[in-house]
Amino acid sequence: MQQKEGGVATTAEAARRVALRCENVNRWFGGLHALKGPDLAIFQGEIFGLVGPNGSGKTTLVNTVTGFYPPQKGRVLLFDEQINGLPPYRIAQKGVARTFQNVALFRGLTVLDNILVGRHIHMRPSALATLGYWWWAKKEEVAHRAKVEDVIDLLQLEDVRDEPVDVIPLGLQKRVELARALAAEPRLLVLDEPMAGMNQEEKEYMVRFILDAHEDLGLTILMIEHHMDVVTSICHRVAVFNDGVKIAEGAPRETINDPAVVAAYIGASDAA
Amino acid sequence: MFYRLSGVHHTRYEDTRRLWPIPTDRRLVAVLFLLALSAPLWLSELYLQNYLLPWLIWSAATLSLTLLMGVAGQLHFGYAAVMAIGAYSAIHLVRLGVPFELAFIGAGLVAAVIGCLFGAAALRVKGLYLVMATLAMQYLVDWVIVNVPAISGGAHATLQAPEARVLFFSFADGFTRYYFAFFWAVFMTVFLLNTKRTSFGRALVAIRDKDYAASVIGVSPFKYKLLAFFTSSFFGGMSGAVLAFCFYRAVTPEQFGFNVSTQLVAMVLVGGLGSVIGAYLGAAFVLLTPMILSNGIAALSDAGWLSVSANLLAHLPLMIYGALIIGFLLAEPLGLAKIYDNMRNYFLVWPFKHSRR
Repeated sequence: MQQKEGGVATTAEAARRVALRCENVNRWFGGLHALKGPDLAIFQGEIFGLVGPNGSGKTTLVNTVTGFYPPQKGRVLLFDEQINGLPPYRIAQKGVARTFQNVALFRGLTVLDNILVGRHIHMRPSALATLGYWWWAKKEEVAHRAKVEDVIDLLQLEDVRDEPVDVIPLGLQKRVELARALAAEPRLLVLDEPMAGMNQEEKEYMVRFILDAHEDLGLTILMIEHHMDVVTSICHRVAVFNDGVKIAEGAPRETINDPAVVAAYIGASDAA
Repeated sequence: MFYRLSGVHHTRYEDTRRLWPIPTDRRLVAVLFLLALSAPLWLSELYLQNYLLPWLIWSAATLSLTLLMGVAGQLHFGYAAVMAIGAYSAIHLVRLGVPFELAFIGAGLVAAVIGCLFGAAALRVKGLYLVMATLAMQYLVDWVIVNVPAISGGAHATLQAPEARVLFFSFADGFTRYYFAFFWAVFMTVFLLNTKRTSFGRALVAIRDKDYAASVIGVSPFKYKLLAFFTSSFFGGMSGAVLAFCFYRAVTPEQFGFNVSTQLVAMVLVGGLGSVIGAYLGAAFVLLTPMILSNGIAALSDAGWLSVSANLLAHLPLMIYGALIIGFLLAEPLGLAKIYDNMRNYFLVWPFKHSRR
């Protein structure tokens, strides 16, 4: 009943734990069939790339995983626990964090406060504790501040810590968003085009930070990315989507050279 | 100059989150606190009871509204109704023989529960539609108070605040009234300041700024919007009770009409959304400017420097007042608090302006 694991699936890999499994996920928007039942399995500790032309259903798939658009048919399992149908904040509490394609930071807060919001699921916020800050909230705030400082250290955000988020450059904003997701200590991190709109240098920084976070925190990462150089250099496996269907899956280099993938991107050549 | 950042070095995380990290700010707050505390000594009874006291109470009410509108970003145009519920509940509870301290909390609870009922219905909608829903609350509550004699005591009745004591001090005494209002303003100020540095406040701001981003990080938008309505209505109801017992001493439905709701919204907006000092400045502006203008223009007219008809004389203060509100909001859309903030930022680096980041 399991789907094919792609070209590189070995017995050792098959024995690894599956962090995220999507089974026959379907999503319609009115008459548009955006996801036509793809299956997907992402192993624990893996960086999994999701590529495909615009409108191929990558972001829709990610949105079904994080609960924005629950699939109308099919299942989504996080460490063998069904999560489809749960509202986004419940899925976040189960250990899924994500970033957005266009930065979604809280503009009224500083960088530090934005990352502190990432600790929300680990804290016990209440109006009463706010009232008695010195007795009921201070200790918790300081403890979580220490955790956040670790993330700030990891992503080198020290010198913008106290800046309002809307005054820092886009590259840094994307890094803050990654920091906010990391602060939640997720079991599965979903990155929706983390390098969109970045120059080469910012991209290299971002790749470095993603790899650092992956290594230090033992994360499982699902990443949508259009930059093929990034995908081939850091992803362990990739899946290619086209028109709501998974058309290829496997080791990055082989997969993106698959004729079906090339056809999806630049069109099939009749003369070939 | 005065606000010097040099020499302020934090070595512990709790120090960076103390209420006023800059020494000058702390001194200013201490001076203001002592001035307010000693006000009965140096301020005449008239000014104390008719200017300072209502200012403090309305500032507290503005603070509770700014928690909802400024911090959590949920518009509320029926806040006077919330205060009315609190005021009437407190009076009726005290009349039933409940001690004032409990009636005070009870007033908050009743206001919070009713406020939440409307809030829950209103939370399905956003923006202008939320304004309409809260306006409906204003009119419904008004109607119920006027038409249920058990609450208002009759259609055009005035309900006297009964004799009550808070911790052995009687409300018949002007000092008790002033100090209780003062305590309440301090309490609300501390609550709002703390909100800005706890996970509760951050969750509210997250909901206000980007509700979908808040939900993927684990903040339930519905829960926190409802909590914002609950907390804000709770304190709004209590502010209404303070207003009834410390200032009006008797309540009528007209005291909490729609125009009062708009005044409260004006206090929040003119002061600056979500700002603590803005609540004080906004309340002062909306409350005191019309009085000062009327007095000033009357004085000018009496002195013979302003010869206009009596009709125009009555309307002139209103015209100037309206022009002032527009003027301030044009000059600084973020309110009086932002003007203060700009001045403070200027002095923070004065005279070395180039060192500003």
